[in-house]
Amino acid sequence: MGTIGATLIRAGRRFLSSLPALFGVLVFTFLLMRVLPGDPAVFFASGPSAGKEEIEVVRKQLGLDRSLPEQLGIYLYDVGRGNLGRSMMTGQPVAKDLQQRLPASLELTLTALVIALIAAVPLGVLAALRPNSLIDHGVRLFCSLGVCVPTFVSGLLLIYVFYYLLGLAPDPTGRIDVFASVPPARTGFLMVDFLLAGDVEGWWAAARQLTLPAFTMALFVIAPLARITRASMLVSLGSDFVRTARSIGLSRWQIVVTYALRNAILPVITIAGIVFSTMLGANVLVEKVFSWPGVASYALDALLVSDYAPVQGFVLLMASIFVAVNLLVDVLYGIADPRATAA
Amino acid sequence: MYPVIFRHLISASAVLLSATLMASAARAQSRAETLRYVTAATVNTLDPNIPGSTREAFALSMSSYDRLVSFGRKQLNGKWVFDLDTITGELAESFSVSPDGLKLTFKLRPDAKFHDGSPVTAEDVKWSLDRCVTAPVLGKAQLLTGSLTSADQFKVIDPLTLEVTLPRPDKLALPNLATVYPIIINSKLAKSHATPEDPWALSWLKENEAGSGAYVVETFKPGEQAIARRNEAWNRGSPDKPASFKRLIIQSVPEPATRANLVERGDADLAIDLQASDVQALESKGKLKVISTPQYNAVTFISMNNKIPPFDNVNVRRAVAAALPYDDMFKAALFGRGTPLFGASWPDGTPPSGGYPIPQPVKLDLEKARAYLKEAGMPEGFATTFSFNVGQAATAEPMAALVKESLEKIGIKVDIQKLPDAQMSTSINEKKLPFFTEGIVAWLPSTDYFYRNFYTGNQRWNYSSTDNAELEKIAQAARFEPDKAKYEAEGKELNAIHFEQMFQVPLWQPAQDAVMVANLDGYVYQFTRQVDYRNLSRK
Repeated sequence: MGTIGATLIRAGRRFLSSLPALFGVLVFTFLLMRVLPGDPAVFFASGPSAGKEEIEVVRKQLGLDRSLPEQLGIYLYDVGRGNLGRSMMTGQPVAKDLQQRLPASLELTLTALVIALIAAVPLGVLAALRPNSLIDHGVRLFCSLGVCVPTFVSGLLLIYVFYYLLGLAPDPTGRIDVFASVPPARTGFLMVDFLLAGDVEGWWAAARQLTLPAFTMALFVIAPLARITRASMLVSLGSDFVRTARSIGLSRWQIVVTYALRNAILPVITIAGIVFSTMLGANVLVEKVFSWPGVASYALDALLVSDYAPVQGFVLLMASIFVAVNLLVDVLYGIADPRATAA
Repeated sequence: MYPVIFRHLISASAVLLSATLMASAARAQSRAETLRYVTAATVNTLDPNIPGSTREAFALSMSSYDRLVSFGRKQLNGKWVFDLDTITGELAESFSVSPDGLKLTFKLRPDAKFHDGSPVTAEDVKWSLDRCVTAPVLGKAQLLTGSLTSADQFKVIDPLTLEVTLPRPDKLALPNLATVYPIIINSKLAKSHATPEDPWALSWLKENEAGSGAYVVETFKPGEQAIARRNEAWNRGSPDKPASFKRLIIQSVPEPATRANLVERGDADLAIDLQASDVQALESKGKLKVISTPQYNAVTFISMNNKIPPFDNVNVRRAVAAALPYDDMFKAALFGRGTPLFGASWPDGTPPSGGYPIPQPVKLDLEKARAYLKEAGMPEGFATTFSFNVGQAATAEPMAALVKESLEKIGIKVDIQKLPDAQMSTSINEKKLPFFTEGIVAWLPSTDYFYRNFYTGNQRWNYSSTDNAELEKIAQAARFEPDKAKYEAEGKELNAIHFEQMFQVPLWQPAQDAVMVANLDGYVYQFTRQVDYRNLSRK
């Protein structure tokens, strides 16, 4: 009880201390977008007959005719009320766009992370058990390949083999077959929504749709996870308590999994947290290749056309998620290693 | 025990199997009646008038809304393209132009209904056209080019008759009513969603469709897809029956290779924005139908800002025009897919036609280029930048490399700048780029239109910042020239000035490569450079 309370208090304190950082991110992104060359009014008033007048109309609509401090004030006031502005690109409120797209990104990223962890931890452990053996080198080779091949190359390759040549995968266009019907949106996570609607066939279709992009992303992040697992397992296996455990004749499984792995898992959790936050924002290539309607490709498209509101909303969202994930990692730390809470 | 379970299992799986078979048969049926169109772009509004509308939004609006009139089609080198000179009624059953050319009278189809079942009346038409020339929408600037500027010009005569008055006879007035913007909106429905701040219901119509067109929009997810179903009551097509496909799916697939795969496997029916290299590969495999139409209302340029030194010197511009490796660029950028606007021969040194654009007698001639540079007083050359936007990188990047390489040979050092799209349009608008490549498109391509819009005034589309009094005078005069022979002569004069001054270098008209499954029929190249879904059917 005491440890849980302590963990919660620490998490709360961490959260409060991250608020100024969030505010800084907000103001910084706002200013950065305005400093970037590229005038959204000109870009969006670009019909074949748009002239000066149209540009001015758009500028006024976007509020870009006001002074910078005035714009910032309005923006902060709006954000405070939960209004992130309107995207010129999609014509929708940014908050609505992000709300629709975030579950898509989260679903993909979480699945990829789970796949990566399931593959990386055993690989790392195997490599650590027999350092410099053939297995170790094999794991190293696999990891290097995963990292050096950019995700859009591995994505296109997987599409070419599994969709184009073999016809096993469904067409790589988004979260669900365009001809299928979408379940009533409850959580936004299709895998959950289909189950809630009791539609097994739909669930299976969505799962098939998810497989290729998730594996593409997982391939890319297996390497850091496996390498960290290996390194910290090596330290853990060489430490005194493992020697003691060995000498009193505990079973190999107990030594490796219960003692060595539990102690080695802390850095893996940290890295997994960082990998998750990074993946969420950086998986834009995977989203593009698989036409995945996620937040990263949304932000990139907006950035290219200097659509301010979506980019600002995206950065704010990412910063908040980063804070949330770090909090979660802190809490998990406490569970994995009670000393972390005491300290 | 076992056999019973076994029997249950068998009967259960038999039921499951037959259900699956029936479902898949139904799916195949609906698949055949569905047109699935994949594109890199996205439909971002249901009202094409909203500033920022994408070309995909234009295309969808052609199917979801009717206009008073529409363009016919004609064959150009064996391919169907839109025809500016044939204008047929769409919502108008008939129309007439008064002998003095100042009055257009439209009789509406008595059987035309909006998607909610209410009849289309002259009141709706007037409200829609008023909106187009009054509200802050894209249509305003477009209709201006047809002398349609004020709500006073539209008069309801009776519930099925509308009269349009013009301040002067204008041959572009009628074609303008067939363009994307003057959609006819269900005014009662729209007005019920108007607010005092938004009397023209701009924000409601952006996300809701209130038209009478061939398709009814069902799902609209910007950035992902738009789905529409056929309007069974629609009879405005040329054969007086509804559109052929029952369902229409417009899906955004950003990755060009994926779009190519989808069409090749038959999962998608049509794409018009594949990479030239993919198109070539697909064409050579012979499984798909590839219709390549030169975009005859578009031009790609290498532009020079005539106000920024050294490009203010006509001899520098001529030197650049003589030092461009035209054939190599055409092959590297477009894989030869398009109509070249270089390498012509003008036997008597004057333009053979008054059309625009016409192929000019320019070709790679480094000796001549050096001579021009010398004449310009810069025999040693100079340094400059060459810009293009990221969105065009697939064609512009190889082109830029060739330009750099070739100009280096006559001493011009070129630094290549790749700019994000918004930054590129801003720099062009502010007239900051000395040397760059860009394209133009005109919905109503006529010589005077091109010269008036792309070679005059301090505005974005005057890429070369041309300021030539004579050119402006002739182009303005040609605007209202009723005599065809005189118009042709004026066009020739304009083309002669263009070549003599070499404001910028027209390179080519890129082809639009429509790649479709073999059983798709009826594709017509449209002025929007998009697909008109109403044209298509499955054989």
